[in-house]
Amino acid sequence: MEGLERYRDIVPDFELFVESMARPLPVTARINTLKTDRNRLLSRLTESKVSFRPFSWYDLGLELDVEKPGNLIENLMGHIHVQEEISMVSPIVLDPKPKERVLDMCAAPGSKTTQIASMMENRGLLVANDPANTRVASLRSNCERAGAINVVVTRYDGRRFPSTKFDRVLVDAPCTGQGMARKDITVLDRWSLKRSLGLQRLQRALLKRATDLVKPGGVIVYSTCTFAPEENEAVVSWVAERVPQVSLEKVSVEGLESSPGLTEWDGSRFGDEMEKCARYYPHKNDAGGFFVAKLIKE
Amino acid sequence: MSQSSLKNRSPFSPLDRAEVAELMESRFGIPPAAFEDVSFYRKGRNVWAFSLPEIPDLRCESVGLRFLSVRGRVPKPTTYALQLFGNLATKNTVDLSADEAEKFIAGDRQRLEAEVEDGYVVVSYRGEVLGCGLYVRGELASQLPKERRIMNEGAKTCSSDGDVE
Repeated sequence: MEGLERYRDIVPDFELFVESMARPLPVTARINTLKTDRNRLLSRLTESKVSFRPFSWYDLGLELDVEKPGNLIENLMGHIHVQEEISMVSPIVLDPKPKERVLDMCAAPGSKTTQIASMMENRGLLVANDPANTRVASLRSNCERAGAINVVVTRYDGRRFPSTKFDRVLVDAPCTGQGMARKDITVLDRWSLKRSLGLQRLQRALLKRATDLVKPGGVIVYSTCTFAPEENEAVVSWVAERVPQVSLEKVSVEGLESSPGLTEWDGSRFGDEMEKCARYYPHKNDAGGFFVAKLIKE
Repeated sequence: MSQSSLKNRSPFSPLDRAEVAELMESRFGIPPAAFEDVSFYRKGRNVWAFSLPEIPDLRCESVGLRFLSVRGRVPKPTTYALQLFGNLATKNTVDLSADEAEKFIAGDRQRLEAEVEDGYVVVSYRGEVLGCGLYVRGELASQLPKERRIMNEGAKTCSSDGDVE
């Protein structure tokens, strides 16, 4: 847990934060409205004697009292998608609409992609991009099971994604994944400043490219599942500085507890604007850890 | 024409919607209006269903979802296509009991009496579509993709659902 010590001064209730890392994540899923609706699904689960607890903050999210949710028949039918609670935040902040053109730049394995597809009601265009050959198979399979017919899968390096214009772009960037420690504790030992800084170069280039691809008036959401400011505020502020047409908008999801983004870290000033970003800590929502920024292009 | 547009020329060729819809109507009684907002494309031996009448100018690995396989003598609907549109079917549908559904989701074949024509059928359980089956001479063979099949634990979920208890 050594990697966490550096966050002592920025995380509220730090001891509780560290303790929470040892607790496994609840099993959670999202109701797929492309194939069912909330009432139908909930009554099916009740009839099957599967215990569940709906999220307080999101009516399509559920905590399930099963060991292997992947073995539920509702999963086979694509009526639910097993997905970590906090990761449902980025599509909600992105707020895609039916008939829009949307890019999910780092899409595999497709949890957020299928959530976006359902928010778009299977209309318009959703480009699900991921360069990794090995990850594209799971991305395609998840999109098909979800019944997403508005998704095309591409395999570009996001930094060089071809010039096309989108209404909204999600950059759910590759990261050191510290926020997923409750799922896999070894991510904490694998963290190093060097890894964060290596990823930072990629993250900056991805987000920078996203600002080229979004139409005037369009929205970009940048998210990671790590706590490292090097991969979060240091990325967003770097891009905001270089692309004057973008400005930050406050991220706030009702019912979830978040902390504001950092205005400085380790001697670097990010600026007061960064307070508009949201940091989600595992002990505050009994979920994973997450960072979300929302940028609007003039 | 620029080189890049040549390079991106899509391997997906458009199909006549009415033709695909007619196929689904004649076999399953699904009204053609169900596909009003869907465009169909063919690539190799697969027909894909996609939301837009034009494929974006990108190198696409897939567009929408695989809808039919036209490998065999008769076009075969994918499980995913039937999960999405099969609830509108009025014929060649089979609703399974809990025990039968358990075998079906495990990928098995089973003897079964059903009032259907031989060929591909919409298989459902408790009113919701499980996927595609092949019914021939009194035997139903599950066509679920291998990676979707559920053994043991899944079967337990299925048989403890109140239908049998």
